[in-house]
Amino acid sequence: MKSTIASRAYPPDPAAAGLAPRSPGSGRGPRRGPGSGQGRRISRQLPFSPWLFAAPGLLVVGAFSLLPFLSTVVNSFTDRRVLVAGDYVGLANFRELVHDEMFWTGLRNSTLYVVCVVPALVVLPLLLALLVRRNIPGIAFFRSAFYTPVVASIVVVGLIWVWMLDDRGLVNSLLETVGIGKIGFLSDQWLLLFSAMAVTVWKGLGYYMIIYLAALADVPRELHEAAAVDGAGAVRRFFTVTVPAVRSTMVLVGALSSVAAFKVFSEVYLMAGPTGGPAGEDTTLVMLVQRVGTGLTGRVGYASAISVVVFVVTVALMLLVLRADRKEDA
Amino acid sequence: MRISRRAVAMATVLAAVLPLSACGGGDTGTEESSDASGPVKGQISFQTWNLQANFKEYFNGVIKDFEKKYPDTKVRWVDRPAEGYADKLSADAAAGTLPDVVNVSPDQLAPLTKAGLALDLDKDRTAAAFRKEYLPDAWKSQQIPGVEGTYGFPWYLNTGPMFYNKRLFEEAGLDPEKPPTTYDEVFDAGLEMARRTDGRVATLGQVPTIEDFGRYGVQLVNKEGTGFAFNDAKGVEMLTRYKELFDAKALDPQALTATPESTGSKFLTESVAMNPGSALDLENFKKQAPTLYKNIGITDQVTSTGKVNMYVMGVMVNANSQQKPAAVAFAHFVTDATRQMSFAKEVAIFPSTQGSLDDPYFTKEDGTDETRVRIAAAKSLKNAVNYTPVLFSEQMKTELRNQVAKALQGKVSPQEALDRAVEACDKLLKQS
Repeated sequence: MKSTIASRAYPPDPAAAGLAPRSPGSGRGPRRGPGSGQGRRISRQLPFSPWLFAAPGLLVVGAFSLLPFLSTVVNSFTDRRVLVAGDYVGLANFRELVHDEMFWTGLRNSTLYVVCVVPALVVLPLLLALLVRRNIPGIAFFRSAFYTPVVASIVVVGLIWVWMLDDRGLVNSLLETVGIGKIGFLSDQWLLLFSAMAVTVWKGLGYYMIIYLAALADVPRELHEAAAVDGAGAVRRFFTVTVPAVRSTMVLVGALSSVAAFKVFSEVYLMAGPTGGPAGEDTTLVMLVQRVGTGLTGRVGYASAISVVVFVVTVALMLLVLRADRKEDA
Repeated sequence: MRISRRAVAMATVLAAVLPLSACGGGDTGTEESSDASGPVKGQISFQTWNLQANFKEYFNGVIKDFEKKYPDTKVRWVDRPAEGYADKLSADAAAGTLPDVVNVSPDQLAPLTKAGLALDLDKDRTAAAFRKEYLPDAWKSQQIPGVEGTYGFPWYLNTGPMFYNKRLFEEAGLDPEKPPTTYDEVFDAGLEMARRTDGRVATLGQVPTIEDFGRYGVQLVNKEGTGFAFNDAKGVEMLTRYKELFDAKALDPQALTATPESTGSKFLTESVAMNPGSALDLENFKKQAPTLYKNIGITDQVTSTGKVNMYVMGVMVNANSQQKPAAVAFAHFVTDATRQMSFAKEVAIFPSTQGSLDDPYFTKEDGTDETRVRIAAAKSLKNAVNYTPVLFSEQMKTELRNQVAKALQGKVSPQEALDRAVEACDKLLKQS
């Protein structure tokens, strides 16, 4: 079998196979294009060549995502700890989850994050993209300004927001000046969570705005002109022309942002602290994975079980978004 | 821009899989300790905990002296940041790349010992011979309940005074020359200050920790040493008093999410009146908050037992070290009386070696605040206790903290909160 593949893959005469220059004047390599002999031969004689091109990427994903993923699934059925190889415990970790108050708190917060953040990240960047897509003087400044939070370090961003929302921070000082009084953004369980959501939305706006700008560039100008001639106003044109034209992008943004929102960690960790807010009430599921599974006494098995739940929920979320899209297509 | 449904699906599946990549554990060696007698030679690695930034010269000097004493040795020094040190240790331990000599605290030593990674110094004839050089209590601090043996050389001890803001005390009508020193006095002063300032000035900035319960006189561990017991009447009494403080805003409203760093900042900005610290902090106050420095008051650590809390640092030898004689010799060299004394002169720490605390450096006044703090701390150390139970892990600290926060918010009663915390900690103890 090996020799067959070798003989097919490497014909004795490289020139005949189109793999070497035929003459000094024929260029540096084989001719390209669908009609060239070389293209046909490669597709026929190297059936695995597409995999060879994909191999580096596949290796990276396999080694750093899929293998750890499989290991996590296996670990979720064990009582493995960081320093101790565990034994198989069946569904014990999952049964424990059901009775773990903190797990339900994490699930509630992560779900709430999706419910509040995703609509904002689907709609607001689109409106922002509509605002900045016009080529008017100085618009580049606004595009850059809206994109700046995306490239800023989340740690720096988090610390700045903590400083602003502190009891003696900028926001509370302003509120006191105008007579409203202090608001406990960082001491109230719900205000803390909503503040973290605001940071997520603020930081993500620019990223999704760029995706929408690319999508809006593909919307034919004639459609807008025709709708305008028919008497449609700006709002009507937005709903009847723009939204249908960028709907697949909205689905992508919805799917990506819902997965990201369900996995939220940094913003909440930075603003609510390592304990996950007052009494841990702002803990998200990924924070719980970190808390339970790391450190010298970390319970890898139990943390893996929580990770598996995170995976199942994110896949379910994605399917839900795609299904909603398909229904609209029908 | 057309995006196919398949592309969306692929992207999101990948995004969903990625969070699971972080969960992995490792098997660690459980090799039996072997004797470290033999020629001191070979290359060893030495890991410290956030010491390179300020003490690079000191440690390079120690290493140079050691290599001079044992010419056939080479020491490779690595330093890890304070943040995530336990995670780094666990990653190294799981990967089998733990350095030969490691700087650890007793709570970090416990899981490493249980995993068979720390050398039992009592069983090792060479190491056991050094025992008499250290204070008996310091040597005991490197023993793990339920496991026979001693697993680390005691290194430096630390304790610190309570700092308070004299100006805030004066403004609240309290005597700045008579600061509270017991918990009951702190509670009374806090309520008074909150009442007089209409809740604008909090006396304390952090919720009680396990050390606070210890210093209040609560029994932390049961008599058999098999479980926790801080949900007794004394514990409930203390938490009830803390709730009074919280309700009166005598405990900072952000205390429920505060870290030692954030509370330190609040003390610097004069929004909290009292904060525990160390002699190191004085320099910080002088540089960062000159106004506060002018009004700084220094008093004994708050305790109702008459004994202050002591933090102990240790140096363990990797049981799987390939160069055990050199590793033991270096761990002892770093922690011997000469090195500890010279380190104490570099930074405000206290030696754990016999007789070192009687040195004039820790007994003779020179009129400066720094010396006053140092002498007071050294004196209190002779009677100090390490109130943090060795088996009290990070997860247990979080459990206690969350339940304390619930009690302070009034979501559960102090008794229920402590019962739940004890139950959760006992469960974690059994799983460890």
